[in-house]
Amino acid sequence: MPAEMRLFVDKHVRYIQSLDTREDELEYWLTEHLRLSGLYWGLTALHLLRHPHALPRQEILEFVISCLHENGGFGAAPGHDAHMLYTVSAVQILATLDAFDELEERLPGVRQKIGHYMANLQDPQTGTFLGDEWGEHDTRFLYGALNALSLMGFLHLVNVDKAVDYIQSCANFDGGYGTGPGAESHSGQVFTCVGALTIAGRLDLVNQEKLGAWLSERQLKNGGLNGRPEKKEDVCYSWWVMSSLAMLKKLHWIDGEKLTAFILKCQDPELGGLADRPGDMVDVFHTVFGIAGLSLLQYPGLAEVDPV
Amino acid sequence: MASHGVSRTAAATERSEEARRKELQQIAAYKDLTDLVNAKISERQYTLEVLGLSTKLLNENPEYYTIWNHRRRILGALLSPQLSDTAPHKDPNELVQDDLQLTFTLLRKFPKCYWIWNHRDWLLRTAESVPGASNARTLWAGELQLIGKMLHADSRNFHAWSYRRFVVAQIERLAPPTTEASSQSLVESEFEYTTKMIKTNLSNFSAWHSRSKILPRLLKERTATAASRRALLASELSLICSAINTDPFDQSIWYYHQYLMSTISPACPAHNRLVLDLSNGERQEHYEHEMEYIREILDDETDCKWIYEALLYLASAYLEVEGGTQAFSTRDMRGWLDQLKRLDPLRKGRWEDLGSTLNV
Repeated sequence: MPAEMRLFVDKHVRYIQSLDTREDELEYWLTEHLRLSGLYWGLTALHLLRHPHALPRQEILEFVISCLHENGGFGAAPGHDAHMLYTVSAVQILATLDAFDELEERLPGVRQKIGHYMANLQDPQTGTFLGDEWGEHDTRFLYGALNALSLMGFLHLVNVDKAVDYIQSCANFDGGYGTGPGAESHSGQVFTCVGALTIAGRLDLVNQEKLGAWLSERQLKNGGLNGRPEKKEDVCYSWWVMSSLAMLKKLHWIDGEKLTAFILKCQDPELGGLADRPGDMVDVFHTVFGIAGLSLLQYPGLAEVDPV
Repeated sequence: MASHGVSRTAAATERSEEARRKELQQIAAYKDLTDLVNAKISERQYTLEVLGLSTKLLNENPEYYTIWNHRRRILGALLSPQLSDTAPHKDPNELVQDDLQLTFTLLRKFPKCYWIWNHRDWLLRTAESVPGASNARTLWAGELQLIGKMLHADSRNFHAWSYRRFVVAQIERLAPPTTEASSQSLVESEFEYTTKMIKTNLSNFSAWHSRSKILPRLLKERTATAASRRALLASELSLICSAINTDPFDQSIWYYHQYLMSTISPACPAHNRLVLDLSNGERQEHYEHEMEYIREILDDETDCKWIYEALLYLASAYLEVEGGTQAFSTRDMRGWLDQLKRLDPLRKGRWEDLGSTLNV
């Protein structure tokens, strides 16, 4: 394989392993409000890189449990309030570690509690989901809830039809979806809405030709993908756009080779990790979504990712 | 943890011993502050003092969502009429103004931080029911200025556009009940706002998108006649066609053209239509007219793929409503498709699929 097409697997593994040893950096403390999601991103990246045991399983499990609240929700770190985003990350980690039974043994009744925490955040009037008791709503939370509830086998706790109606009300003429009704189409939100519809088994409601066309136009001359018309490219859209195209079975509507080359250029070849654009600072968020994009592009040696 | 646009070389320089020591001090001070705020909140010290500490912390880290929650807990207590007389307190109006100022300052620095936008929304909703706070409608109306400033700094900020839609809905909701329905609505001024934003920058798709959402409501509230609906469609088409002529390589403009075309399609749901009683003959005329106009631009811009894509779209729409006399041939369509494959190899797979769908 030519040098510029190489994925620095070992360096990325070491980069992810190093993330929890940075307590002497201010940035480590300033990002504590993202810790549990960061752990999910790191763990997922390691699985895709075929190094699933590079982080200690028991320590992860203890950390996840330390973020659990009495009401069944999870905060981003111990002492942080419960929120949908981190509850979803916690469930995703538990599913990855296949640890639901172990958790239930230690804390009987906890699964039901987690399921009800998320189910209770559904707005009975509109069908969408709130982030927490303070009332912010966004299609990100709706997707997160359906994803986590389906992983736990608890979809029956919520009104899926009503959630589907809500997504329909977010659809735009270009086939895409925004953060709520009336909002501009955005690749990240397209992923959440198409993902939620896939979980609900209602992809028939998507204007697949139009949305596929819109998604394919996210690819720019340099091979990278952007999130909206006339915006700059960013590695994270390798996931939001590509997973949506995969769910619509239209991955071949963009140039995979050029995108692969773009993602690989965003690697830090010395210290590992991927950045938003070539030459920028790396972080675990762009690392996982870049690698997940490569997995959808069937880069050799990577584990296969589920686009939902 | 998610850094955007920060150069690696700027960040990767080795920390000197001095810098390292300084960073450790910063960490210690930051952790002391977070521990202090969290400890006081767990003791339910919902006081002005703790409010001040949370201000300090949020200025250092506006992404720390739990602190925003703490702030709302404190404000909830301080704005409550049951506040004990002995505790030091502030005028409710002043408390609200302080938080408007704090969130404004932070939004200027962190315009994409969800939690700040969210707090502002909570604050104004809460202020509505606080006795002694300014008139709710006045407060919401003031938000349009903030949004104006945010969109001036970044005309594509989708948080600001979403918040604008939300604020407009609140101002409309709070209009004095005696006034007529038409004067409660801001749909005309919002329509003008999109015109202004588009004139500043034709490439602002957020403004075009917003316009696409406003148009059906505008017509409904104007109780527009069939003729005035047709006039509006015509003027929108003429606006977008002159934009195409100005910059035929801009995606935003073509998407708005696609939007207008989607409203005249027989498949368009009734609530999205601009003209309610369009005949197939009229549709055909529109398609022919657009194709003719776009083909004229083609004379100067033979390498613009958007032109060929639009021609193919219009041709297939045309075929849906008219099977007889044609303004183009299958050979034309095949030629346009070949141009797309030549000019846009990135999306080769899509053009191949389109060829099979159109059967050319």
